[in-house]
Formats: sequence, C-alpha cells, structure tokens
Amino acid sequence: MKTRKKVKQITADGFKYAFLTIMLVFAAFPLIQVVINSFKTDADVKTMPIGLPEKWVFNNYRDAWEIGGYARAYFNSFLVGGCTIVIVLTVVGLGAYALSKLHFKMRGFFTAYFFVAISLPGFLYIVPDYFFMNKIGILDTRMSLVIVYTAMQIPFNMLLLRTFLGGIPRELEEAAKIDGCNELNSLLKITVPIAKPIFLTVALLVFVNVWNEYLWSNTFIITDELKTVATRFVKFTGEYSSNMARIYTASVISILPVVLLYFIFSNKFIEGMTSGSVKG
Amino acid sequence: MNNNLGQTALFAIMRNKKVINNMKKTSIIPYLFILPAFIIHFCIVTLPSLSTLAMSLFEWNGIGNATFIGFGNFTEIFTEDNVVKIAIINNLKWLAIFITVPIIMGFIVAIIVSRIIKGQMFFRVVYFIPYVISAAVAGKIFTAYMNPYYGINVFLDKIGLTSLGDTLWLGNPKIALYSVAFVDNWHWWGFVMVLFLGALQQVDPVLYEAARVDGANRIRELLHVSIPGIKPTIAFVLIMTVMWSFLTFDYVYVMTNGGPANSTEILATWIYKNAFAKYRAGYANALCVLQSGICLVFYFVQRYISKKGGMEDED
Repeated sequence: MKTRKKVKQITADGFKYAFLTIMLVFAAFPLIQVVINSFKTDADVKTMPIGLPEKWVFNNYRDAWEIGGYARAYFNSFLVGGCTIVIVLTVVGLGAYALSKLHFKMRGFFTAYFFVAISLPGFLYIVPDYFFMNKIGILDTRMSLVIVYTAMQIPFNMLLLRTFLGGIPRELEEAAKIDGCNELNSLLKITVPIAKPIFLTVALLVFVNVWNEYLWSNTFIITDELKTVATRFVKFTGEYSSNMARIYTASVISILPVVLLYFIFSNKFIEGMTSGSVKG
Repeated sequence: MNNNLGQTALFAIMRNKKVINNMKKTSIIPYLFILPAFIIHFCIVTLPSLSTLAMSLFEWNGIGNATFIGFGNFTEIFTEDNVVKIAIINNLKWLAIFITVPIIMGFIVAIIVSRIIKGQMFFRVVYFIPYVISAAVAGKIFTAYMNPYYGINVFLDKIGLTSLGDTLWLGNPKIALYSVAFVDNWHWWGFVMVLFLGALQQVDPVLYEAARVDGANRIRELLHVSIPGIKPTIAFVLIMTVMWSFLTFDYVYVMTNGGPANSTEILATWIYKNAFAKYRAGYANALCVLQSGICLVFYFVQRYISKKGGMEDED
C-alpha cells in the first residue's frame, strides 16, 4: 500500500514538473534562441533559424553595435532614465510622505486623484502633448521625454510609496520632530533611510519602463542621434532587414541591461510590478 | 495597572495636542510636499486629457487654427470611416482572446506551481521574464521568427510540415491578428500567472486542511478553497484585461502596423495614423474619446457582472 501511494505521488510530481518544463520552454526558448542566433553568420541564420550555429561567430556584436548607433542610444536611454528617476523619486518621495504622514485638508482629494490618474490611458493625452511640445519648441529633445515619462510614472509610484511609508511607525518621525527636526529633515533623516528598499524598487521600475517605452519616444523623437534604445532598434530592423543575424544581435543588445537588472533584482521587479500594477 | 493606563491616556492626549499644534503651525508644508507631483501630472496628463475631450469637437490639423464642427467628427466615425468598424471588431477579438487564453494558462500554471515543493521561485522568475522585456523589441524578435523566408517556416519545412511552413504568419490577413496576439500573450501570461500565484500563496492553509478533513478531493479543493480565495485577484485581472484590450498598441504597431490591408487595425493604431501621419488631430481626438468611452462602458459592464457573480466582496 505504502509503496503504491509513493509511486503515485512520484508520477504526479513527474507530470507536474514535465508540464512546468514545457511552459518553461515556451517562455524562455524564443529568447535563448535569439541569443544563439546572434552567434551565427547571416547565411547560417537564414538557412536554419532554430538550433545551434554551425560555426560560432562573434563579429555580429561589434557590427550591430556600430551600425545601430547603440553607443549613442544607450547614452540617451541612460540619460533619460536617470533624469526621470531623480525627478520621480524627489517629487513622489515628497508627495507620498505628505499623503501618508501629514494631516491636511485635501489629503483625501489628492489620494483619490492619483488613484483615478493611474488608469488614464496615454492615448487620451498624447495628441495634445505632442502639439503642445511642438508649439513651445521642445519636441525632438530628450527633455520632452523626461517630462512626459515623469508625469506618467507619478501616480503608480506615488501610491506604491504611500503604502510603504504608511507602514513606518509615525513615532519615529515624531521623536525626530521633538528633537527639533522640521518635516523635510525628518523625511530625509528618518524616513528615507528606512524606506531605501522601496526607493530602489521605484527607481528600478521607472528605469525599466523608460528603457522599454516605445510609443512616446517614437512619436516625440525624430532625430536619430536622440533616439532611445527601443526606438533606435525598431528603426534598425527596418533599415537592415536583410541581415537577420544582426537583427537578432541587436535584439540582445537592446534587452540586455533590463534582463541583467531583472536577474539581479528579480524579487523587487516582481513585487513592484505586481503590486496592483497597470500594464505598461 | 489602573494608574498606568491613566498615565498612558494622559500622555496620548498630550501627544495629540502636540500633533494638533504642529499641524496648525505647518499647515502649508503638506501642500508644498504634494504640489510638485500634482502640478507636473496635472499639466502633462489631466489638462491635455480634458483638452482632448474639447478638441474632439473641432476640425484641426494640430498646428493651424481649429474650426468648431460640433459632432462632425463623430458623425464621420460612425458613417464614413470603415476602418473604425474593423478596428473595433479587432479590439473585441483581442478582448475575447485575452480574457480567456492567458488567464486560463496563468491560472493552471499558478495552481501547479503552488503545489510543487522544489523550484517555485525558479519557475516564477523564468515565467516572468517575457513581461520585463520591451514590447517593441519582443515584437520585432517574433517578426523575425515569423519572416516567411528566413524564419520558423524554414524549420517547419525541414521537419516535413510543409503546409504549415507555407503559412504567412503576418502576411495573411486572416491570421495576422492572431499571430500578433500569440506574441502578446507570450509576453503577458507570465505576469497573470505571478499575480495568481501570489494570491494563492495568501490563501489560509487551514482552509485546505479543513477541506481535506472533510474528504474533499483536489478538484473540490480547487473549486471551494482556491478559487474563492483568489476572487479579488481574478476580478482585478479581468478588469485590467477588459480595459487594456481597447488600449493595446505596441505589438500591433511594431509587428504589422495595422496591415496587411487594415486587417489588423485596432483603435490605437488608427488613432496614431490619424494624428501623426494624416495630421488630423481633431479627428484623432474624437477617436480617443470613443476609445476611452468604450473602455469605460466595458469597465462598468465588467464590474456589474463581477458583482452579480460575487467576484468582489466589497466596494
């Protein structure tokens, strides 16, 4: 009896793991094959896009990096991402502190405002924003992207941070205030050090969203030299569509920073992105 | 004991007074803290959104003067514009696909992952990878795979599936939309799975034990413990799917741009073309209003059905 039960358990487990492995292949295989294809010659990729290379070649990376203008694109994405992170952390840190710690008349209004704001679709404001940016002459600048990205990232991160800060005991900040700190000092000296992990989560989420964003940067940026990685990559695939190996290689180059960050901080990513999140 | 309590109460009152005093003294501070974020968001998002509503009543090319034409844009949408009809139908197909396939996949996998002992974290991390990757890049990767001459078809031909190998995944108007949906689903289902898994892990283990004591088998356990336990998450995923199905853009734009012959046109790509290719900003705004309106209607329909079906406990 006992052994039969054990056997049954083992077969059940076997089926579970087999099924999960199939799903694993479905999720990961397309990406692994992209990496493999980036080490093939173009002719090799074209005759057999699935499977290992006949001969491993490594020049695709140098070629795609140079032809695709990736040094420039990386710089643009890091610059736009960095600026957006700094501004978002500043304004959202201040705002979330007010919403979670301070008592004031319109607190309810502001909280409700950001809750509604989360679900406003980009298409509702992209057309006026575009023509407004055009009018004041900052269309086709990286600054225009920083501005819209900051605005778009505010509601979600505001609420994420508000929830976290709400969990920090108020006594700590009160003690600081009794010692003569003003609100800003108690935020900087007490709350921020405790809330470091959540600030890191916000920074990561903002960075990934900026790095991956396509619609706005494709609309706002016309000059190649100012394009971010995602837009530059899509343009590259259009211009050099004949060389498949380079397209696969450019894909790897385009997603590498995000994937690396994901492997280092996967738990932060998953927690941040699934905390009542909105699809990006 | 009593004395102690009294002291605590007194201290609490004193502290409250202190807090109230602080509040009066610094009543402008909270506004200084919240206003930067509010002003940025209001100027870049809310105000333009309102102007979209207003500008939908104008004929406008985005640069010159706008002429008021009342509901002219909307009349055109419903009487002259044939593409809008295709787009709405495609968005509905999209909704039908995404309200079933990824949710069922995510649910089944989440149930299984929650029941294994070794490797939960590993599976979770890998299934989530496609969600982290840029939609534009993922779309182009699969466009390469779906290339009729150099893509997966070469492989299908070689293993003998020649009829499948002749398929134009993105070139055939009948299947292009489903090819794109397949890719978007590849990117999306892991996210749904992780949401479900997180919810399943929150279900009180005592409930499972109680069910087992009552002699429930795995299926009954699923129906009476797991599903009721994650109802709020299911409702959340449904609402998100419904709204987002009418807003989806990246994959279609990058992979087919609405083609071939408008067969994969969705509202978002059609808006984009009107606004930034044809420079019909007023008309595009009217389409945006229509899109958001449909979203809103479906949102309320979904909420209503969920409530009737007991999907949400409160609010």
